[in-house]
Amino acid sequence: MTRQILVFLVRRLGMTVLLLLALSLLVYGLMFLAPGDIARNLLGTRNATPQALDQVRAQYHLDKPFLWQYTHWLSHALTGDFGTSIRTGAPVGRMMRERLGLTAAVSGLAFLLSVLAAVPAGVVAALHRGEWLDRALVGWSVVGISAPGFAVGLILLYVFAVGLGWFPVYGTGSGFLDSLWHLVLPAVTLALGLGAFVVKLTRAAVARELDEDYVVFARSRGLGRARVLGIVLRNAAVPVLTSLALMVGYLFGGTLLAEVTFALPGLGALLEQSVLFKDFPVVQALTVVVAVLISLTALLADLAYLTVDPRIRNRMAR
Amino acid sequence: MPSTSGPASSGRRTLLKTVLAGASVLSASALLEACGAQPSGKASAGAAATAGADTGKQIALLRVALPGSLSNLYPGQESGILNYIVAGICMEGLFGVDPSGQLVPGLATKVRKAGAKRYVYTIRSDARFQDGSSVTVADILYSIERARDTATSPSTAAYWADLDTAEQTGDHEITLTSKSGDESFVWLPSNADALWILPKSTWRKAGGRIGTASALPLGSGPYKVTDFAPDSHVELERVDTWWGTAPKAARIRFDFIPDDNTRLLAWKAGKADLALNVPPAAFRQWESAPRTRVVYSPDRSYVGLTFNTTVKPFDDAHVRKAIAHAVDRQAIVRDILRGHGAVATALSTPEQFGGLWSSAEATRRLAAVPQYDYSLDEARRELAESSVPKGFTTSISYPDTGPQLGTAALALAADLKKIGITLHVEELPIEQWLSRLGTHPGLGYMWYFNTTGDPGELASWLLGADNPARYANRRVTALLTEAGTEADPAKRAELLIQAQSAQAADVAYAPLWWGQSAVALTDAVGLKDYTSYTLLGEWPSRVYAAR
Repeated sequence: MTRQILVFLVRRLGMTVLLLLALSLLVYGLMFLAPGDIARNLLGTRNATPQALDQVRAQYHLDKPFLWQYTHWLSHALTGDFGTSIRTGAPVGRMMRERLGLTAAVSGLAFLLSVLAAVPAGVVAALHRGEWLDRALVGWSVVGISAPGFAVGLILLYVFAVGLGWFPVYGTGSGFLDSLWHLVLPAVTLALGLGAFVVKLTRAAVARELDEDYVVFARSRGLGRARVLGIVLRNAAVPVLTSLALMVGYLFGGTLLAEVTFALPGLGALLEQSVLFKDFPVVQALTVVVAVLISLTALLADLAYLTVDPRIRNRMAR
Repeated sequence: MPSTSGPASSGRRTLLKTVLAGASVLSASALLEACGAQPSGKASAGAAATAGADTGKQIALLRVALPGSLSNLYPGQESGILNYIVAGICMEGLFGVDPSGQLVPGLATKVRKAGAKRYVYTIRSDARFQDGSSVTVADILYSIERARDTATSPSTAAYWADLDTAEQTGDHEITLTSKSGDESFVWLPSNADALWILPKSTWRKAGGRIGTASALPLGSGPYKVTDFAPDSHVELERVDTWWGTAPKAARIRFDFIPDDNTRLLAWKAGKADLALNVPPAAFRQWESAPRTRVVYSPDRSYVGLTFNTTVKPFDDAHVRKAIAHAVDRQAIVRDILRGHGAVATALSTPEQFGGLWSSAEATRRLAAVPQYDYSLDEARRELAESSVPKGFTTSISYPDTGPQLGTAALALAADLKKIGITLHVEELPIEQWLSRLGTHPGLGYMWYFNTTGDPGELASWLLGADNPARYANRRVTALLTEAGTEADPAKRAELLIQAQSAQAADVAYAPLWWGQSAVALTDAVGLKDYTSYTLLGEWPSRVYAAR
C-alpha cells in the first residue's frame, strides 16, 4: 500500500515537473508574442531614436531569438535565480517574498471564510431541497457567482468602510490585529464569489447522495438521521474536495482584482502590472510559483481522497 | 521628465495601473451614485475662490493619495510622472523648475554659456546630502555618469544622447558640452528631466538597484525617504540639511491607490489631504465630495491627429484637409471634455512658453497658425478634389486609458460618415497603443505630455527627422534647424511658430485639444501657484495649512 502511494507520488511529481516546463515555455511564448514593446514601455511616448530603443532592447537581451531568451531564463531559473525585474530593477525573488505573505493571508482568510460558511450552507440547502431556505441560499449563490469582484469590493467599501466606518478603506495596516482588520473586506470580497461556488457544488454533491438507494436502505434499517447524514457527507466529500482544490487557482485570479481595488501590494497586483509591462522575469517567476502551488494543492487533494474514500484506497492497493 | 501620456498625465506606470480599473470607471461611478453619493453642495471647481488663507502653522503630516503605484523611487528606472513628483522633493538636479516653467537653481547656483555648445555650471558650496555629507563635484559627475548608463537608468539614459562631455573645470564648477548645441539641452541636468544627484557611495552601495526598497535613494533635497513599501506607500521626513527654507509639512506620506473608485472613497472617508491627477471621468464626483476643492490647470498635453504622409490615401493633402475640416474641436472641448481643455491651434502648448510669454499671450500668438475650421461642406469639397472622391474606409486606435480620445474619435467617425469616409475606432491597451505608435499607421492619435518647458519639445520631434507623419518640408526643416541653435528665446519661439505655420499648410498633423489636469485638496490645506510645473519642482514649500 505504502509503496503504491510512493509510486503514485513520484509519478505525480514527475508529471508536475514536465507540466511546469511546458507551462513556462508557453507563458514565455505568449509574452513574447503579446503586443507591446518593453523598450517603448520604459521610454513612453517621448521621442526616442531607433538607436536608443535598440540600446534598451540589447540591455535586456530582447534582441536575441526567442529560444535563446527562454533557455537563458531557464538556465538561471533552475538555479533559483529568477533575475531582475525590468520594470522596477529589483530582484524578482525578493519582490515575490515581500508580497507572498499578504497574498497568502488574503487568500487563506478568504478560503477559510468561504469553506466555513459555504459547506454547511450547501449541506443545509440540499437537506431542504425545494424549500424557501434552499431557494434563498441558491439564489444568493447565483448572485455571488455572477457579481464581478471589483463591484462587490466597491459595494463593501462603500457600506462598511465609508458608510459605517467599521473597516479601513485601503492599505495593509501595521501589527497583526490591524493587518487582519485591513484584510477582512478584501477577504470577504473574494470569499463571496468563492463561497457561492462551493455552496452550489456542495448542494449538488449532497443532493445526489441523498437520492442514492443506500440512503433509503439505511433509513429503512432504522439508522438515525445524524448517522445517515454522516455517511452521505463522507460520500459527497470527494467532489467537494476537488472543488476546494480548484479554488486555489481561482483564488489567485481573484486576488488580482481584490488587491487592485483595496490597494494591497500583493502578488496579484504585481502580476497585473508585470503582464501589462511585459516584465518577463516577474511574469515567468509568478507563473511557475502559482503553478507549483496549484499542483501541490491538487496532489494534497488526491491524497485526501485516499483518506476519505476507501474505494480509491482499495483500487490503488490492487 | 516623465515620458508618457495618460489620464491626467499620471505617467506610464500609472497608465499601466489604470488599465484594469479603466474599464470599470463609468459603471462603478454610476454604482456609487446609485449608492447615494450625492453632491454636498459645499465644494466647487474653482480653487482660487475657495482656498483658505495661510495660517502659517506647521503641518505634522501631509497625506497624499496617488492614482498609481510606485515600485522604484529613482525616475531613471521608473519614470512615470508620479515618480518625478516624489523624487523631486528628495533628490536635486543641477537645476529645478518653478511653477512658471522656468529653470531655477538646484545644486548649481547659476549656468553660463561658453560658446555655442558649452554650459558652465557653478556648484553650490554649502549643499549637503541628507546624511550630512557635503555634495561634491565628484558626486555630481558620478550621478551624471549613472544617469547616462542604460543599465542603471534604462528609462532616461536615452535623454542624454546629446551630451558630449561632462567635466570638472573648477573647484565648484562643472562644464557640460552638448553635441548638437540645441537650446533644449539646458533642461537635461534638471531633476524635472533627467538628473538626480546622489552620493557616489550610495550609487556604489546600491549596485544598480537604486530606488528599490533595499536601496533607498539619498539626496540633497528637503525630504528624506524613511519608509518605502513598493506598491503600497512611501513616507518622507523633512531634514535640516537642505540649503533652502524649510517647508511647513514635517512628514509627507504618499499612499498608492491605483483604483480611481477606491481613491474617491478613501478621500470621502477623510484619508488624504491632497489627491493628485483626479480622473476626468470623475471630476463631478470629486467636486461634490465634502470639504473638497478641485483645482484645474492646463497640463501641457497635446492631443491631435497624425497623418502618415507616405501612406495612401493620406499622402494626398486634400484627404488630410477633408478630415481636418470634419473635426468639431469646439464641440469636443465643450461636450466631451466638459470645458476642461482648450482647442489646440498648434503643436506647442501655450504653457511651454513660460518665462517668455504669459499663457494668454502665447495662446494669441499660436492662434496665428493657419486653422481648419469645422465645416462639412469644406470637407466634402476637399474630398471631391482628392484621389478618393467617393470616400474610403480607415481606422484609428486610442489607448484604453484615454476614454475621451475614444469618444472624440467616435464623434469624428459620425461626421466623416456624412462625407463618405468610414472610420473604424479601436480601443487598445496602452502598451499596445504605444507599440502601434511606432509603426506609423496612416491615421493615428498623438497624445503627448510635454516633459520640459521647452516650446520646441514636441514640435522638434513631430517636424524633425524620423517624425511619425513621415513629413518632409524643406522650409519647415530650415526653420527648425535655425530655432534649434537660436539663443534668443523670443526669436526661437517665433521661429518655432513659423515652422508650425508652414506645416499647417500641409496638414501632416491636425491639433485637436490641449488638456487639463486636476488636483483635489481638503479645505485644511492650500497649494500656492498650482500649474502643470508646480509638482515637478520643490512643491512642499507651496503647501500651507489653510484656515
